[in-house]
Amino acid sequence: MNFILSSLICTPLLAALVVLLMPGYLQKPIKAVALLGTLVQMGLSLLLYVSFDGNAYADGRSGYQYVEKLNWIGLSLGSLGQFQIEYFVGVDGISVSMVLLTGIVGVIGVISSWTIQKQVKGYFLLYLLLLTSVMGCFLALDLFLFYLFFEFMLLPMYFLIGIWGGPKREYAAIKFFIYTLVGSLFILIVMIGLYTSVIDPQATARQLGLVGNGVPVPVAVILEVQQMLQDNTIATTDLVRTFSIPAMMDSANFIPDSLLHIMSDVTLWDKPIRFVAFLLLFAGFAIKVPVVPVHTWLPDAHVEAPTPISVLLAAVLLKVGGYGLVRIVYPVFPDAAAYFSVFVGGLGVLSIIYAALCALAMNDLKKLIAYSSVSHMGFVLLGLASLTTEGVNGAIYMMFSHGIISAMLFLVVGVIYDRAHNRMIVNFRGLASAMPAYTAFVVIAFFASLGLPGFSGFISELLVLLGGFRAPEATGLLPRWLTIVAVIGLLLAAAYYLWALQRMFFGKYWIFPELREQAVISDLNLREYLMLVPLAILALLFGIFPSLLLNKIGVAVTGFSELVLQNGQEQLNIVLSSIL
Amino acid sequence: MNEQAAYLTETINAIVSGAGSLLPELLLAGFFLLLVTLDLFRSVKIKSLLPWIALTAFFASMVVQIQAGNNAETTFFLELLVSDGIAHYAGILFSAVGTFSVLLSVLNKSIDRLKKGQGEYYGLILMLVLGLNLMAKSVNLLMVFLAIEVVSIASYILTITLKEKKRSVEAGIKYILYGTLSAGVMLYGMSFFYGLTGTLTYSDNDFWASMIQVSPLMVMLAAVLVFAGFFFKISAAPFHFWAPDVYQGAPLPIVALFSTGPKMAGIIVIMRFLSAFADPVMASYFKDVQLLLALGALATLAIGNFTALWQQVPRRLFAFSSISHAGFLLVGLLAFGVDYKASVLFYLTVLLFMNFGTFLILQLAEDELQINRLEGFSGLGRAYPFLGVMAVLYLISLTGLPPLAGFMGKLLIFSNVWEAYTLHNNMVLLMLLVAGVLLTGVALFYYIKIPYYLFFKGNQTDKKLVISLSNKLLLAAFALPLLVLFFKPDLLLQYINQLLTKAL
Repeated sequence: MNFILSSLICTPLLAALVVLLMPGYLQKPIKAVALLGTLVQMGLSLLLYVSFDGNAYADGRSGYQYVEKLNWIGLSLGSLGQFQIEYFVGVDGISVSMVLLTGIVGVIGVISSWTIQKQVKGYFLLYLLLLTSVMGCFLALDLFLFYLFFEFMLLPMYFLIGIWGGPKREYAAIKFFIYTLVGSLFILIVMIGLYTSVIDPQATARQLGLVGNGVPVPVAVILEVQQMLQDNTIATTDLVRTFSIPAMMDSANFIPDSLLHIMSDVTLWDKPIRFVAFLLLFAGFAIKVPVVPVHTWLPDAHVEAPTPISVLLAAVLLKVGGYGLVRIVYPVFPDAAAYFSVFVGGLGVLSIIYAALCALAMNDLKKLIAYSSVSHMGFVLLGLASLTTEGVNGAIYMMFSHGIISAMLFLVVGVIYDRAHNRMIVNFRGLASAMPAYTAFVVIAFFASLGLPGFSGFISELLVLLGGFRAPEATGLLPRWLTIVAVIGLLLAAAYYLWALQRMFFGKYWIFPELREQAVISDLNLREYLMLVPLAILALLFGIFPSLLLNKIGVAVTGFSELVLQNGQEQLNIVLSSIL
Repeated sequence: MNEQAAYLTETINAIVSGAGSLLPELLLAGFFLLLVTLDLFRSVKIKSLLPWIALTAFFASMVVQIQAGNNAETTFFLELLVSDGIAHYAGILFSAVGTFSVLLSVLNKSIDRLKKGQGEYYGLILMLVLGLNLMAKSVNLLMVFLAIEVVSIASYILTITLKEKKRSVEAGIKYILYGTLSAGVMLYGMSFFYGLTGTLTYSDNDFWASMIQVSPLMVMLAAVLVFAGFFFKISAAPFHFWAPDVYQGAPLPIVALFSTGPKMAGIIVIMRFLSAFADPVMASYFKDVQLLLALGALATLAIGNFTALWQQVPRRLFAFSSISHAGFLLVGLLAFGVDYKASVLFYLTVLLFMNFGTFLILQLAEDELQINRLEGFSGLGRAYPFLGVMAVLYLISLTGLPPLAGFMGKLLIFSNVWEAYTLHNNMVLLMLLVAGVLLTGVALFYYIKIPYYLFFKGNQTDKKLVISLSNKLLLAAFALPLLVLFFKPDLLLQYINQLLTKAL
């Protein structure tokens, strides 16, 4: 169990290497290797999930389990001291759910890719690389490592959409690439600002000779170093700057004259520079989530991507954005998070309502589902902005549950597209009589997504709304009307799903005449059952037994929300008074 | 009489004691003479030996530079040249530039077909590298001028190597006209500096001390004129107009050489010239000069990146790409007060591998498939995955994305700018940082066009492309350092720092 996290990252990479060495005409064996690789990864993620101790205290700053830490790049910058980049991975309650999700969806994606005919070797190579970087993102605790995986996701995705996608794939691929790259450039600016401002107290203690090499640094020494840092009594050459995310969460680790220190008096456009940094970082992840109004790449990417890639995109890639907000943006800048809570929550509600309205207007079933993804990710933002225990739990639950359900939704769209080579809602009617089993799964997926009690979607929406309603008293961060507006989103979700269901599946069987020649309307086959049944079971399981997830994430989420809230309010006063 | 004799002996002693530091240059000059002499023979055997002699010269000079970097301290040659860590490291880079250019030339079909003047061609590359070495060593404005002229004259002739091509003659003429003009302007500016300060040695404290005394307007004027010459050499805006034409007309190995060698040397000259600004007191006297340079950097970045968007000819695209890289480097040089030398040298090293790799791919495409539009790349990546993957690696590195060394280079440069911003709170620096980072997004847009054609479009030619083993090896050899320098940049940075501690 010592290297389980590294194994999780390396398994798909290893499978990719094997695929690379295989000749391209061995299509079946290549698929088998990819399946095996993802199965092992899923097994490892399950093992990790089961053995993960959900009761141990964690708050984002500490309490990580299965930590691996290795020096990677260490550099002396002369007069500026040193900086270090570490291979630093670990899980807490927040990331463990995402790891499990990635493991499951990875396998489903391979099964769904079984029908790929074109350039099989290249496809699975890129697929496995993509999976490696997604897993890396969820496990990395060093910002540089995180950024490496975060950026590396773009390249395989670009080719997967651009080569194996639909008719307008090239446009969609470039749009996806440019949008997300701009997002990550915002992140890059803040990353540079952060690592030049933050020191690693442990490494600095070693540098100062307070603790010998190889000996764990006692807490007292860390506090001493932090005190010395704030008193400016450490020579600059002895400061060890770090990319470590947990170190960035502690305001005592910021170098006093650095711009991002909470007492910095530098302002940009009349806002403290920490607020500007928060907004940049937020924008970077918001593009990935995506949040209205920077969501426009998503419908295009989804519509053009092949089914398995849509599944992966919706189920795990979007979660990287949400996860980045929880893991990095909020705990590193809690003051700005408290200050901008209405803004963040408002954007969340805007996404919920606007995307739901868009979904209502869509003719293309896949676009409808793409917009419903945007709408559901809005709940993540709302829950996070409330900073109540329920709200943040709901946000994480929503990410997990949406991962399962959206995978199902995109698979369901893929099923009809495979048969009719078309997915316009108006072209079909009464499919229920022709494809009863398929219709059953569509109904399950739609109802799970619109939040029917008994499915995981319900639990997550309930938690977010509870948190939102309690926020005015508990944290004072959100006005109540915001959550009330968000409830309308549930109504709209019911409307677009039920309307689509009614138009496509009920009534007398009919399909658009021009489609009839090429369409072979048959019910689900074994491969499709193999993907849909487990997902449906998971959606039900996590809907009926929420404690399956909450027991693992609860402690960490509580610790996280309390820490962010408390630090946020304390630091906000300091930040605002420093610029006066 | 006696006084004169004493002065003479003193000078001779100084020359003798400093001459050892000129060994690499003397080596190159000796091999240059050898090449020119051998070129007179008509024997085919000797002709085929020429590139290998040039390679030997570069190899020898690299060994000498590494040796010198390992043990020697800083030595001056008559207050004109200095052999310090920067000069040694630059010398190593330039020897590599020379080596790679010769290797590309050996693989280039039109150079190979050249009946007359091969010796001249390789000889001039040696001469050019000699000039680059001198540029990196100069601490005297007149010496800078001489060194730049050595490089320029060699460049003019190399541009028109393929005389029968109309484009190359056009490019040559344009290059000479722009080049001589900017050289004249630069010399004029230098004369101002001499008049203002009474010395041309800008590493001298007197130079800057007397500069503070005179009117800022005069300093500004002289700086504008001198930087015109420097900017010309690194193809920075607004003196970049020659680049696209020359890149289109010259043989590709020479284009690769231009996009690296003179640019690196120019950056090092500017770096030495600006090193006085590390002192904040000094820097505050010359706020206007800094602002001017910042505007130049910003304009270079903007023009390079935005103009590249409209290019359809690969060579012109990479001309603008190299202009934008000059902009990045200038941004890096403006982080006054931060010790940025190592980062800039690191970026230069990365630039070397990325550019030679890219131009090798262009050369392959041109020689074998006569590709001179971006559309020509259609489907090649699918048909030849190795070539496609290598192209993607170079382009991603040029864009500056992980996991390639281009990202590390940019990260280091931007970190320096952020540090400088922390120190001075100067809005200009923040603007440069934000512009530099965001323009990476623009850069992706034009760089990604090539993988777009390589992989997304169908094949249009039925011609078979045979990539020779030597080409494959060279492509891999350029790509490997890009990966290594991303994952372990500290290996190189430590070496650079070690050399720099000997620099003063």
